[in-house]
Amino acid sequence: MRLLNFKKLSSLDLVGVGLLIFLLLVPYVVPVVLNDFWVNIIAELMIWSLFAASVNLLFGYTGLLSFGQALYFGMGAYGVAFGFEYFDLSFWPAFLLGVSLGTLFAAFAGIFAVRLTWHYFAIITVVFSLIFYFLAVGTKELTGGDDGLPISVPPVLKFGQFELSLFDLTFQYYFIMVIVGLAFYMKWRVLESPLGRAFVAIRENDKRASLIGLNAYKIRYLSFVLSGLLASLSGVLFCLFSRYATAQNLFWTVSGEGVVWMIVGGAGTLFGPAVGAALLIVLREELSMYWEHYLLIVGVIVIVVVTFAPHGIMGLIKDLLGSRNSKLTGSDNGELLEKQGGTGNE
Amino acid sequence: MELVILLAMNGLFWGLIVALIALGLSIIFGLLDIINVAHGDFFMVGAVLAWTIIQHVDNFWLAFFIVPLVGLLLGAVVERIVMRPIENSASLSIVAAFGLSLIIQESVRATFGATPKRILDPIGVTVPFFDTSYDVYRFVAAFISVVAIGAFFLFLHKTKFGTWMRAVRQNREMAVAMGVPSNIVFMVTFGLGTGLAMLGGVVAAPITSVEFRLGLDVLPICFIAVIIGGLGNLPGTAAAAVLLCFMEGVVTSFTEPTTARIVSLVLMSVVLLLRPEGIFAERKR
Repeated sequence: MRLLNFKKLSSLDLVGVGLLIFLLLVPYVVPVVLNDFWVNIIAELMIWSLFAASVNLLFGYTGLLSFGQALYFGMGAYGVAFGFEYFDLSFWPAFLLGVSLGTLFAAFAGIFAVRLTWHYFAIITVVFSLIFYFLAVGTKELTGGDDGLPISVPPVLKFGQFELSLFDLTFQYYFIMVIVGLAFYMKWRVLESPLGRAFVAIRENDKRASLIGLNAYKIRYLSFVLSGLLASLSGVLFCLFSRYATAQNLFWTVSGEGVVWMIVGGAGTLFGPAVGAALLIVLREELSMYWEHYLLIVGVIVIVVVTFAPHGIMGLIKDLLGSRNSKLTGSDNGELLEKQGGTGNE
Repeated sequence: MELVILLAMNGLFWGLIVALIALGLSIIFGLLDIINVAHGDFFMVGAVLAWTIIQHVDNFWLAFFIVPLVGLLLGAVVERIVMRPIENSASLSIVAAFGLSLIIQESVRATFGATPKRILDPIGVTVPFFDTSYDVYRFVAAFISVVAIGAFFLFLHKTKFGTWMRAVRQNREMAVAMGVPSNIVFMVTFGLGTGLAMLGGVVAAPITSVEFRLGLDVLPICFIAVIIGGLGNLPGTAAAAVLLCFMEGVVTSFTEPTTARIVSLVLMSVVLLLRPEGIFAERKR
């Protein structure tokens, strides 16, 4: 178990372990300290963390800035909603249908998208997602359009009298936590594997990577599909959590939020996007109680973070802890940001 | 047939307004390397200011002089305060622009309100057009857009400042070495781009409804124009904007508007994949 090898345990891992313990205790501690409402917020937050992680896999590790992850998110949501509403599927088949639908979309879109890089990639991904956004808005009788398609969620498991259902909020919390946890574990394993190293190699310098025999197109494609898988998984979870699927899930502002969370948290770090999503969603929930126009403050915070902590909050934490060894990325993600800016004129 | 001509004309005139906005997006993109996702919101602010001016002084035409100047100033300030500290990172600037977009939308929602408002046709004269009538204002709007686009190109090619802008775009180090104040050029470029977007907002205000989410739909179509026209190819951008909206107008007369939008998005994907340098670019290499 590499996770328990204390010599390799960096301060960042400690943050991760702390986070895990906190998340495990949430349904028992949070209702006592705050209230039940916050358990749901934290569950939602984990779903969005997964979405931000999907953006991060592409940009933070492979160097491709996608502004269209909402497509796979929204398709995952539609997949599971269609499974329940039109095909009368039980829980797990619909769950699989959602994940496969989103991932298939990514597998198809990726064939074309990863032919392009940087600006062009950002724009073709947003174009793909807009095509299906307008398609979903246009086929209102099927998709519910902007109003959304409400779903009724069947029980997750059922043995005779005993059943586990998402209507039990504590179960729903742990259900989301386990799925998101597994997805993060999978992402971490991939990043630690030779494939993960190849992602970083392509990000750092695709010409050199090609010279040592890496197929840049193929590696970018794999990253794209994997990231699509994470996004559709988060979409499926969000649909189950919010009990409806809507065309709004596919709009570019959803993708944009994922990008913002990733950059604010720290691109190219495993938990950065989760931290960014957590900060901005908690802010949203806290501030919206006091002031209707809280988004103003969120906007200011985003700009302040970008200006004063260009490596995101994780970069700030690393600076404060004085450890600059980001073993997962192999390099400081600041280089990534500057490199992206520098090659922008190509 | 009448419907086709009517919608094609609507598309053409709307395309000229979009060309105005897209040109602003394009110079910011080309010179500062910023994917300015707040650009649509500046367009919206232009429309909102036009509405505000009508409420206070009851003169729509005044907006054509005041709003672009406000845009120039606002853009320059935004460049200096928000974009300058992160000028070397394109990804950070996208995120900053996203934050800016939140701030702009929310400020407008807080002051102007969330309900869409309409501006009365400032001319209020129509001309007979086959069986129906057509607003004269749309012709005026198209004319103003054409004049503004022409003035912009004159500025770019006939003034010293325009030459500076083109010089900084071509080679920043060399331009600075020759004494071009690149920092001021950046501020003015962002201001000019913002001013164009806000002027577009004024021109469009009587045609659309004015609300704080107005920019969200305009932004994608402007990006499409910038890409199809070719990054940094300003005449290409303007031509692509007009062509796209004209085409959407024609397609709309046969099907739903959303289908027309899908057609132009698919078209753009094809252009991006086959000719990423834009349809008007000469073949190099």
